[in-house]
Amino acid sequence: MHSKASSWFKPNLLAKTFGIAFFVYLFFGFMLLPCLNTLTQIFTVKNADGVTDPLAVIRFFFAGNMPKYVWNSLKLALCLVLTVNIVGVSIVLLTEYFDIKGAKILRLGYMTTLIYSGVALVTGYLFLYDRDGILTTWLYDMFPNMDRNWFSGFNAVLFTMTFACTSNHALFLRNAIRSIDYNTVEAARNMGAKPFKVLMRVVFPTLIPTMFSLTVMTFITGLCAMSAPTLLGYDSINPEIVRLAGSSVADEAFPQARAALLSILLAMFTIILLTVLSNYERKGHYLSVSKTKAKLVKQKITNPVANVFAHIYAYVLFIIYMTPVVMIILFAFQNYPAIRSKTLSLSDFTLINFFGSQDYEFMTNRGKLKTRPDAISGLFANSDTVGGIRLSFVLSALAAALACVIVVVAVNYIFKNRSKKRSTVLEYSLLFPWLLPTILICYSYRTFFNSEEVWYVFHTNLYMRENVRFLIIMAYTVVKLPFALRMIKAAFYAIDEELEDAARNLGASGLVTFLRVKLPIVLPSVLAVFALNFNALFTEYDMSATFHSSYGKTYAMVIQNMCAEEGRDGYNVNASGRRCASTVFIMLVSGLILYLVYGVGARDLADRLALKEKRRKRREKIVARLRGASEKAAA
Amino acid sequence: MIELKDIVVKFGDFEALHNINVEVREGEFFTFLGPSGCGKTTTLRTITGFIEPVSGTVSVKGVDITHVPIEKRNIGIVFQSYALFPSMTVYNNIAFGLKVQKLKKQEIDSKVRAIARKVDLSDEQLEKAVSQLSGGQQQRVAIARALVTGPAIICMDEPLSNLDAKLRVQLRNELKKMQRDFGITTIYVTHDQEEALTLSDRIAVFNKGFIEQIGTPNEVYNHSKTEFVCNFIGDINRLESEVAAAMKLNPAQHHFVRLERIRVNRPADESELRLDGVIESREYYGLYIKYYIHVGSQTIKAIEKNDGINIYEPGEKVTVGIHPVDVMSYDAAPDAN
Repeated sequence: MHSKASSWFKPNLLAKTFGIAFFVYLFFGFMLLPCLNTLTQIFTVKNADGVTDPLAVIRFFFAGNMPKYVWNSLKLALCLVLTVNIVGVSIVLLTEYFDIKGAKILRLGYMTTLIYSGVALVTGYLFLYDRDGILTTWLYDMFPNMDRNWFSGFNAVLFTMTFACTSNHALFLRNAIRSIDYNTVEAARNMGAKPFKVLMRVVFPTLIPTMFSLTVMTFITGLCAMSAPTLLGYDSINPEIVRLAGSSVADEAFPQARAALLSILLAMFTIILLTVLSNYERKGHYLSVSKTKAKLVKQKITNPVANVFAHIYAYVLFIIYMTPVVMIILFAFQNYPAIRSKTLSLSDFTLINFFGSQDYEFMTNRGKLKTRPDAISGLFANSDTVGGIRLSFVLSALAAALACVIVVVAVNYIFKNRSKKRSTVLEYSLLFPWLLPTILICYSYRTFFNSEEVWYVFHTNLYMRENVRFLIIMAYTVVKLPFALRMIKAAFYAIDEELEDAARNLGASGLVTFLRVKLPIVLPSVLAVFALNFNALFTEYDMSATFHSSYGKTYAMVIQNMCAEEGRDGYNVNASGRRCASTVFIMLVSGLILYLVYGVGARDLADRLALKEKRRKRREKIVARLRGASEKAAA
Repeated sequence: MIELKDIVVKFGDFEALHNINVEVREGEFFTFLGPSGCGKTTTLRTITGFIEPVSGTVSVKGVDITHVPIEKRNIGIVFQSYALFPSMTVYNNIAFGLKVQKLKKQEIDSKVRAIARKVDLSDEQLEKAVSQLSGGQQQRVAIARALVTGPAIICMDEPLSNLDAKLRVQLRNELKKMQRDFGITTIYVTHDQEEALTLSDRIAVFNKGFIEQIGTPNEVYNHSKTEFVCNFIGDINRLESEVAAAMKLNPAQHHFVRLERIRVNRPADESELRLDGVIESREYYGLYIKYYIHVGSQTIKAIEKNDGINIYEPGEKVTVGIHPVDVMSYDAAPDAN
């Protein structure tokens, strides 16, 4: 009896069945069905007579002002492609290709968008250019007739997003330009080509594959823009979807179905663009055929006028990148009178924007001095802010970890069954969210799970009360799966197949091989993916705005509220100070994570052992010195 | 010791191994030699258990292990890339198999240190990361890791192929010495005929999934059984019809002579065929000189020891002597096995 039972019970088979069931549940339950539900919403709208009219929304679309949102988004995306590529290519050429004085400092400035982006960056720009912003205040003092609200609408969004979206150029185009074989440049020069011709005919063609990918990604970013249009006031698709999702039938005609239509339109644009991109990538564009590459030597700009112009251009860009960062850091340590008057002074230095609280003194209209006790509170003393940080921290960490675990298990399976169709199916199902705009996934979740009719979540309304947090985790996880898959799969490719054979030959089971041989190899990449996903989710805005409720008030929403507070209650210096402190805190967290990923995480075993040895020697030296000193003292 | 009987391996419809029969003796250094894609690695992987044959058996000491799981075969492997675990120190790499066997810490330690001493790895090197070692040291770690669990057989899959020429020769000698010291039955896979000839007790020459010949280095070199073996091992001259006719050789066959058997300007021997030729060109190798000699309608290659005196210039007339016993003849359409 016992032997029969043991032959029936196969742990591997059980694990496999459980794994397959989980992925089927995840794909159908949290990717396909909610989105299909959104699609059907468009065609199941009922007219005033209560009759289903499948084309009502589409008719409404063309009759109403909805095309304006689509056109605005397309206009933003198209302009953004142009401006981001101009600025992105400029910053890379200025720091990597041309010999510009102070290139290292310039590079640091251009890369600041890596440590603060999204809502933090937009609020940073607002701090400078808003109606009460530092620059606006200074300009207003000089030109009292100017419009204080000059920084809003399309131009403000385009300006902000141009500098916010060059992070990818700073990373990927930089790598591409650094991998150019310098011998090709020398060969062109040797054949008589002038520097500009070398740049256009030799250097640029090698950058085209990377630039093409960056262009497509920038276009999608522009199309799906959320935080900048919301905070700077520009009517585009995503903010409109969020607005419609929160609207009711009593206010306007079928808002949910209109939101669904806009989401599906975004999805269609995204799918077309990604198809173009993947077809382009599949054709294979190779950067270099050189076997022995020579390192790129920076090119001197020989024309003195062009050289001066390039330097001026480089430093103007540097100022644009750095000013919000510097101002925010400086004002984060200034007290509220200093923030109000936009003056910097050492005597006004304070940590109140971070820690503790103090009374707020103000003059009433009747000239009476009043005090609001504890009205000024720092970032970590304000329960609202701390709550947002805590919630974002927990949700982001859980989602980032979950995405990593799911992908690691899936990729291990995909590699083990490389030639089988089921591994391809699994891979494509994990890449599926890549085709859908984030807003579509979130909107679909919000509408689909906002009922007690979904059987596979045990008839629980996941949008209600605390349940929304689970919904946010699922949305965060699903949205981050494609990125995690691409990165972790690349790490698995680096594992020599013979390592697995060697481990098996030495007697290790599949699980032991995975845990002790493969996982330690891919762990730095997995941790990097975890950290980067966490970083992005910690301050993400789009999803938070869609799921916004008192139970799902994430850090980004708290920051947005601070902006709103400033606008609503006149000029609220406390919110402004806390917002500066928030941005500094985000920069610290992002910077720390990037350091851990690219600094500590990039160390291999040899580096770690060398570091350990160095520390040991340093310790021994200190001990020896102390011993010597004590012996001397004793003598 | 190891016996492969009628092994057939298929990948889909493609038959990679056709009825392979090999017997490796205890303590022997046995080499699978052949060009890329000939089936030598597939045969090795069949022995180690990574590939299961569609038919035939693999036996070790008379025990059929054809369907025994990899980890229970007690066969050590040294991989082409060495497959050292990059996230572990040298010590942990060697100890891996012992830890999997759940041996006691002390036992593991003593075994690791004992095998490390045997392969000449110091205690200091044991604490290093594998990436901090040279190619030769990494190879020693791979061998130590394969041997520490006490396998009955060790298999090596082109372990020298990633190294530069100088190190390859140096490590080849070390490998042979280690094999002799340990006395372990070794199966070695290579496409390098020089490596096979210098290391092996016996060689199996593979071609297109068949074994063309099994024999000692001398047998496969001097008494090649098939035209393929004769062409694959070492450089060789194929005698064209004019020369073959002059030697009265069977015209239905292909005839070959090794370069070192061609006698240039040597004293006449009654039994040999002497032909007049002109030096076309020469290659200077230091230890010897390789001549390209125009004889009749063909070019014959010959190797002469560099004595520093008898060095012939291009255009110089020479006599070429070929002894009939040095000619290896094969049917025109040789059939592999």
